[in-house]
Amino acid sequence: MWVGEGGDVLGAVTIGGCVDAYVIEQAEAVLADQVPRLIALPLGDEDAWELGLSCAGTIEVFIEPCSAENSQPFDLYTALKSHLDKGGSGALLTCLDGPSMGAKLLLLDDGTTLGSLGDPALDQEVCQAALSHMEQGLSRTLSLALPHMTAQVFVEVHTPPATLMIVGASHVAMLLVQLARPVGFHTIVIDSRPRFATPERFPATDTLLVGIPSEIVKTLPLSSATAVILVAHDYKYDLPILRHVLSSPVGYIGVLGSRRRGEGLLKFLREDGVPEEALRRVRVPIGLDLGGRSAPEIALAILAEVVSARYGGSNLPLSQQRQDRG
Amino acid sequence: MLPQYSATIFEHFRHPHNYGALPAPEVAYEAVHPLCGDRIRMELNVSADQTITAVRFRGDSCIISRAAASILTELIQGRTLQEVTTLPQEVLLTALRTTIRPARMKCALLPLHALQAGIAAYLV
Repeated sequence: MWVGEGGDVLGAVTIGGCVDAYVIEQAEAVLADQVPRLIALPLGDEDAWELGLSCAGTIEVFIEPCSAENSQPFDLYTALKSHLDKGGSGALLTCLDGPSMGAKLLLLDDGTTLGSLGDPALDQEVCQAALSHMEQGLSRTLSLALPHMTAQVFVEVHTPPATLMIVGASHVAMLLVQLARPVGFHTIVIDSRPRFATPERFPATDTLLVGIPSEIVKTLPLSSATAVILVAHDYKYDLPILRHVLSSPVGYIGVLGSRRRGEGLLKFLREDGVPEEALRRVRVPIGLDLGGRSAPEIALAILAEVVSARYGGSNLPLSQQRQDRG
Repeated sequence: MLPQYSATIFEHFRHPHNYGALPAPEVAYEAVHPLCGDRIRMELNVSADQTITAVRFRGDSCIISRAAASILTELIQGRTLQEVTTLPQEVLLTALRTTIRPARMKCALLPLHALQAGIAAYLV
């Protein structure tokens, strides 16, 4: 969350309520004295605790000043964004305690570093530890104990936005793009038909590509953060694209169609020599079983499955999980 | 009722002849069916006397269109551009060894139309 000296607020720390209000007050104090601080806050106000209506738990919030005179955070975020735009990952490391509180070091996934946490040994130790968190895409606070010091360091991991690569500029694809955008996906729509793959039909998509779909897909980067959605419902696209993406590390592969159609596609690929282990990655029929039948409901079911696959979700209602845990 | 395609069509779909790209084609043309989305690119190398010396095709297309493209590349090897320009479509349709329903005729003829359009553009 950014808090401006004029009172402007951008973003949020929690889903709202009293915690954010307190953080804003503290931020104004930090802006006044220009001294960073780490604060611990219980989730929920006293009344909520008394009534048993609090979510419970405690969060720690690090508040630091940024200004034209202290532009290092902006410079590091700018360098990080430039790297992310090229498809890389990075982590901004911030020292949360000790004499170097607020010191920052930017670590990119190619090993490049910018800045320092104030101690060369600490820099080396924390970079080594942060690389594994970067691979997992998870931000967290590390407690490090070196022979001459201890330190708490927040590892703020940034990865390229997850990409929804949609093949087939169909009606379901249009709805998928509309839903995926606010969820944070970078969307690419591919089709061979210029009459369907138009900016008018896909005003919100990041990239719209027309040509031979299987050739286009071969030119695009495919990573674990990529979800390939085949909604053309047409084997002439599905087969060559599946052959290609099944040999890549994409995180999700889904094909629109019935179970019978899916078995037919997999049989074709099996006969072409695609290994059984790879074929098991294909989700067909695509989407979670939400019970819906309309095109928007199908798009929602697809996106729900993509998100679940990304985070390793159980696909169970949260209320059901609570009952299971007793 | 399931379509009864010939073994010829299935064979050329699964194992297309002359599939790929030429490094420096004299003739190159990509055609697309605007509704079903078949998209095929035909490429030719041509000698000084306008005889076809090499042909390749590629694209994402249906079983009929892909098989027709594969068979067409066999039919035109060694012919002149003029001969291909006037090649009757019946020659290609006969070579498919299947009765093509009217609804699929555009699929079967897309490769030939692409080739003839490419040659026309080259000869201008």
